[in-house]
Amino acid sequence: MSAAPGFARRYSAWSLLRARFAGPGYWRPLWSGRRLQPAYDVVIVGAGGHGLATAFHLARDHGIRRIAVLEKRLVGYGNVGRNTTIVRSNYLLPENHYFYEDSLRRWETLSRDLNYNVMYSPRGVVDLALTDDAMPALARRGNAMRLAGIDAELLDLAALERFAPELAPRRKRRFPLAGALLQRRGGTVRHDAVAWGYARAASALGVDIIEDCEVTGVSATGNAADGVETTRGHVKAGRIVFATAGHTGLVGAMLGTPLPIETHLLQAMVSEPIKPLVNSVFVYVSPGHGETYICQSDRGGLVMGGHLDGFPSYTREGTWHRLEDVVQGALELFPCIGGVKILRQWAGTNDMTMDGSPIMDRLRHDNVFVNAGWCYGGFKAIPASGAAFARFVATGTAPDLIRAYRLSRFATGHMLDEPGYGPFPVRL
Amino acid sequence: MTRLTCPFCGPRELCEFEFHKTVPAPGSVDEYARTYLRVADAHLSIEHWQHVGGCRAWLQVQRNPSTGAVLAIDMLAGEPR
Amino acid sequence: MSAAPARSGARLGPGELTFTFDGRRYRARTGDTAASALLAQGVRVMGRSVKYRRLRGALGAGAEEPNALFSVGEQPLLIPNVQATRLVLREGMSLRSQNRWPSLRFDLASLLQAGGGLFSAGFYYKTFIWPCWRRYEGLIRRLAGLGEAPRGCALPMAAIEHLRCDVLVIGAGPAGLAAARAAARAGASVVVCESEPACGGELEFESALVEGLAGAEWIAATLAELAQRGARILTDTTVVTDNNGEFIAHAEPGGLPGRNAVYRIRPRSLVSAAGALEQPIVFTNNDRPGVMLLGAAERYLARYGTRVGRELVLFANHDRAYASARRLLDGGMRVRAIVDTRDEGTVAAAGALAPLRAELAAAGVALFSGHAVTAAVGRRAVAAALVKPLGTDGAARRIACDTILVSGGWSPALHAGLHGGEARAYEPRLGAFVPAEPPAARVHAGGANGRLELGAALADGHAAGARAAAGTGAVAGTDGGAPPQAQGDPPPRLAPFARSPCSVADEKRQFIDLQNDVTVADLRVALAEGFIDIEHVKRYTTLGIGTEQGRSSAVPGAAILAELRGVTPADTGTSRPRPPYQPVTMQSIAGFHTGEAVMISRRTPLHEAHVAAGGVLEPMGLWMRPRYYRANGGNAFDAAVAEARRVRAHGGIADGSTLGKLEIAGPDAAAFLDFMYLSKASSIRVGRSKYMVNLREDGIVLDDGLVLRLAEDRFLATTSSGHGTHMLSHFEHHLASQWSGRGVTVTDVTDAWAVIVVAGPQSRSTLAQVLGAAWQRSLAGLRHMDFADGLHAGHALRVLRASFSGELAFELHCRPALAVPLWDTLQSAGLSPYGLEALDILRIEKGYLVGSELNGQTTPLDLGMEALVKPGQSCLGRALLDRPAFHEGTRPRLVGLRAADGRAPLLAGAQLTTDAASTRPCGYITSSAYSPTLGEWLALALLARDRAVEGGTVTARDPLRGGDTLVRVVAPVHFDPTSARMKA
Repeated sequence: MSAAPGFARRYSAWSLLRARFAGPGYWRPLWSGRRLQPAYDVVIVGAGGHGLATAFHLARDHGIRRIAVLEKRLVGYGNVGRNTTIVRSNYLLPENHYFYEDSLRRWETLSRDLNYNVMYSPRGVVDLALTDDAMPALARRGNAMRLAGIDAELLDLAALERFAPELAPRRKRRFPLAGALLQRRGGTVRHDAVAWGYARAASALGVDIIEDCEVTGVSATGNAADGVETTRGHVKAGRIVFATAGHTGLVGAMLGTPLPIETHLLQAMVSEPIKPLVNSVFVYVSPGHGETYICQSDRGGLVMGGHLDGFPSYTREGTWHRLEDVVQGALELFPCIGGVKILRQWAGTNDMTMDGSPIMDRLRHDNVFVNAGWCYGGFKAIPASGAAFARFVATGTAPDLIRAYRLSRFATGHMLDEPGYGPFPVRL
Repeated sequence: MTRLTCPFCGPRELCEFEFHKTVPAPGSVDEYARTYLRVADAHLSIEHWQHVGGCRAWLQVQRNPSTGAVLAIDMLAGEPR
Repeated sequence: MSAAPARSGARLGPGELTFTFDGRRYRARTGDTAASALLAQGVRVMGRSVKYRRLRGALGAGAEEPNALFSVGEQPLLIPNVQATRLVLREGMSLRSQNRWPSLRFDLASLLQAGGGLFSAGFYYKTFIWPCWRRYEGLIRRLAGLGEAPRGCALPMAAIEHLRCDVLVIGAGPAGLAAARAAARAGASVVVCESEPACGGELEFESALVEGLAGAEWIAATLAELAQRGARILTDTTVVTDNNGEFIAHAEPGGLPGRNAVYRIRPRSLVSAAGALEQPIVFTNNDRPGVMLLGAAERYLARYGTRVGRELVLFANHDRAYASARRLLDGGMRVRAIVDTRDEGTVAAAGALAPLRAELAAAGVALFSGHAVTAAVGRRAVAAALVKPLGTDGAARRIACDTILVSGGWSPALHAGLHGGEARAYEPRLGAFVPAEPPAARVHAGGANGRLELGAALADGHAAGARAAAGTGAVAGTDGGAPPQAQGDPPPRLAPFARSPCSVADEKRQFIDLQNDVTVADLRVALAEGFIDIEHVKRYTTLGIGTEQGRSSAVPGAAILAELRGVTPADTGTSRPRPPYQPVTMQSIAGFHTGEAVMISRRTPLHEAHVAAGGVLEPMGLWMRPRYYRANGGNAFDAAVAEARRVRAHGGIADGSTLGKLEIAGPDAAAFLDFMYLSKASSIRVGRSKYMVNLREDGIVLDDGLVLRLAEDRFLATTSSGHGTHMLSHFEHHLASQWSGRGVTVTDVTDAWAVIVVAGPQSRSTLAQVLGAAWQRSLAGLRHMDFADGLHAGHALRVLRASFSGELAFELHCRPALAVPLWDTLQSAGLSPYGLEALDILRIEKGYLVGSELNGQTTPLDLGMEALVKPGQSCLGRALLDRPAFHEGTRPRLVGLRAADGRAPLLAGAQLTTDAASTRPCGYITSSAYSPTLGEWLALALLARDRAVEGGTVTARDPLRGGDTLVRVVAPVHFDPTSARMKA
């Protein structure tokens, strides 16, 4: 059932040494150079993290040979390369924390599985509480995690101070800190490496990754889809997978199926590099400013993000006032970085569902699958999503891990509304 | 888009306004569809906003979500929610 | 301290000062930058690169500087990564180089250079896999980063100023000034942003005559005219991004955070005249200290009188280099050679150049055409240049020099954010990208538009300014006049040339991006691995992502990538720039909203009374509320227990002012509320109140509170603290949509009414005493949930008999002015204040929802309100409440819990399971408290309906804070189930 990718060049310190003497010609393309074939068993739309991981697992775990990943622009050009690189499984609802824990366990070994260093850095994810009143909600979540076998610790102020002295938890602030929920195994992963690592591994298993190939429609005979229309012509497909984060609402419109999705912008930003200061991932929600999360990349840049820009957009151009919010939140946590400069700002388009949880289901046709609606959480979900969705696509049955992510849950009332915001991506 | 023109107050900073939701698909009578399903159109988004930092009027804003261009702003009235 | 030779330059002041660099003291003139002063004193090594730790000197003279980044000041207030080329020195400044340990001269990590080829692009993706990345990460993190992290920040708040104008001109070089003048003359209001501390751009050093004036005089005259016409000139100010038509500009005087400001400028039209950035040519060891941009050398000389070297070799691909050589010679430097990549025929084709070349040759300058500098020689700094003929196998010539000045042409400054989404076209004539089809209301001019010759730039700027003004419909003032005539350097006639030829092995030392140590060899690796698109190459190699925003690397990177791919730069394009165009301090972005001012505080009218009484205040949303009073105990637990006990025994007072209060009025008010709430408001009689809940569209409980009927057509709805504004918007949304045109208004009266809660067995008697005879009858007549309106001390007062403590209790709704006197009188009458912790105890004892049960996930059925849910209701959210999931046995139900042993503490946030072995939660504790009344811990919980059997047991599992506790399921009401006390 499982086949190891047949890499042209296996990566190791040894390979670097050989390349040093052989010159750059020693290296081989990670994925490029494939030609689009007229027909495939599975066509995956979107060469982002989810699409590539699904392709990898279809090929490796299910022995499907003829797979294409069609990408409108470039491998990894969407959200997989635009997020704030955080991975964690500190979710409240069992449907979510078992899924994200499966993902986190895969992150732990992914570099070896892909023979590509994705730089999984378990530096701890710290969800901060501003008041003692907020601690029970963190405890509820942490206890649920612990019962599920997931690591979690509740830090009171003294423990928080020991764990994160850089935060100076006792410093006087407009909104004081009371404690935190810590997941030590949470942390960061080098985002681009995930796309490239999966693309390389999938390619080594024979998957065709075709860039600059936009899918414009789905062709169907009767109730079954039989292929996709692309900017490079019609491609026959036995099964079709959409993994088009940021555009899934439009895919739904293309298929005539409105979805419980609004597409919003989420900004991220990075500072100029500085020597290590922030040693974990901190998540801070303050009244008025909303959310700020901050961590420091291995290159030294402070990577920050916040909440949505606040209205639907496909522009990928964030607004300055949201940047202000995030920076104000970051300065609340670390007043010492006032003189550090923001170097780059960018945005991604997020498919926000009406309960904040993803949708992994069939769409319109029995052989059309959609993997979507990851809201803010898509990056950390990639390894589990790829494995589980591949199984769904290969067997036609959704594995238990993702069964709760069915589309019908909104109609039946089985929403997975982790924060309790209801059917509004932007809380009123 | 850094400003919206409130029909009552005139042009105002975007941060005075709050977006609430995009309108449901036309003709969705079913309560489930009206509550959960959204129209996705790359070039037209019909939205409910409130001028919370101003006159508190509820507005129906039509925008092009691919460019950010504001196409029309009207007072919200009599719309199905 | 070495003696500083006398210098004179346009930016130098008369004064002298001293500063330290890496602990050594140096002298400087006022107006000097760190780089100009250090270079003048022979200091060329200013830092090390991040990856290979190679020694680096200044490449440029301004914002394009990738190498010379200093830490300024001392911890805890150190400021990292300050460009020495922009940093204007002040007396006593302490500067330090970065990326070196223990010293700049000797850096331990520089031994990594030995591994050279191992650390090619993306090497870290290929190794550090075993056993795991985390093992290596700590060391790599410490090696990476640029400057030290500051331990503190004492920067003042940055001012934010909003500006409106007809025309915003970016850049105050010749084109920008011409544009600003033309626009101002046409009557437009003009704002000009110039990144440099002084205006003039290349006129600062180019020997030119404009409108018959010398460059400096023309600048002064133009600025004077602009000032007289009311134009605003912002120097030291860089436009960093286009926020959708609003331009964000960042002022950083002196190149150092401290007096920063942010301008948000909303022009009607824009002239982008930010000039063109000189580009380096890449050759072997082109990163050695002593390799510098030609224009930078000219700037150092003109601005500061600083000679960047003694023996120079110029390396260029255009005519302008010859004029530069002349000026550098005049400035007292020795130009050993000019190495021109163009062949002799091309160079000689411009007849006008011949006399200058002859003159230079006569002055001892060796002129090479069709040649290139192929390598810099010298281990720690440039000692010689290797010069080779191009296209033939001629032998390399070694020319001793201490400085190699390169100029590979100019790339229009396409501001990140301004042109990120706009089309750019490759212009082979310039070897650079120029703006193509700017949107309406945007004009590019001068160097930014590819006009590199002074006369052309001035004319272009003039036309652009006139066009921009016309576009705004500005009333014409005086005629813009003729475009300025000028004589300056000849057109450059450049022939694109991005890098010198070299062996494949030497490509490891051909640096494209100096800050990130990206070499030509790295590009080859990227291409071999299939990273072909410029965006992929950028992400894979880190090309162009340095703090200088790729100013000196993006364009050569694109050209070299094109060369390696065998295509043209038109095919590769450049990567999409990301704002801000120049890094902006976080303090500037945050503006006024830092420290205590980060967010407003909402305070109740009784705030000062709480503080005076030793209340421990904590934020609840934006509100500050007293948690407990110190007088009642040393910690929250002890104080709350004492306060709660006292309320049950005698009575107490609490501040309820933070409750949201909405007044709903009009003929359709009752019908509206019937729709908005789950139960009927229309059935409330005037003078009565009712506990009501409302639902979200999806059937989940949104909020709860009391609704009072003030009159037939007037209601007061209270909301949870902190929910008031949300509920107001929610009501208004429905009023504006399907209720529009109906006779209902909603008014937020939260701040109009203070609320004092008087609770406990003595509440009625104390109130009677405090309110006096006028209130005797109404007080006596008030039944539970009745209210009465009246006056007290001349102010409106409403007394509502309602209880959230289970005691006989009253809410006094009064005008804020009455709150403090009333509170004081109540205290004098023997009632002490109690805080929120005590209130929680009282509520939990009585089984009232504390707040955590309304978490956006619970339905009224979950909360034991099935009596309120009836078929056929048409209120908001009701329809979706019928969905099957809401009726399953796994849905929660509100229950009470007590420890099976009657002693163990119960903590909110514990998960409930059927037994201690189970890991599948069937519920959780929403709120808990130690009950002084009952002498044990009590809890409210949401427990799966099929488990929520009174008398049954479940296990409360709390691995985070303790262990397992066997708990008994009881009714939510722990105390006084018949409510005898409340109804007394």
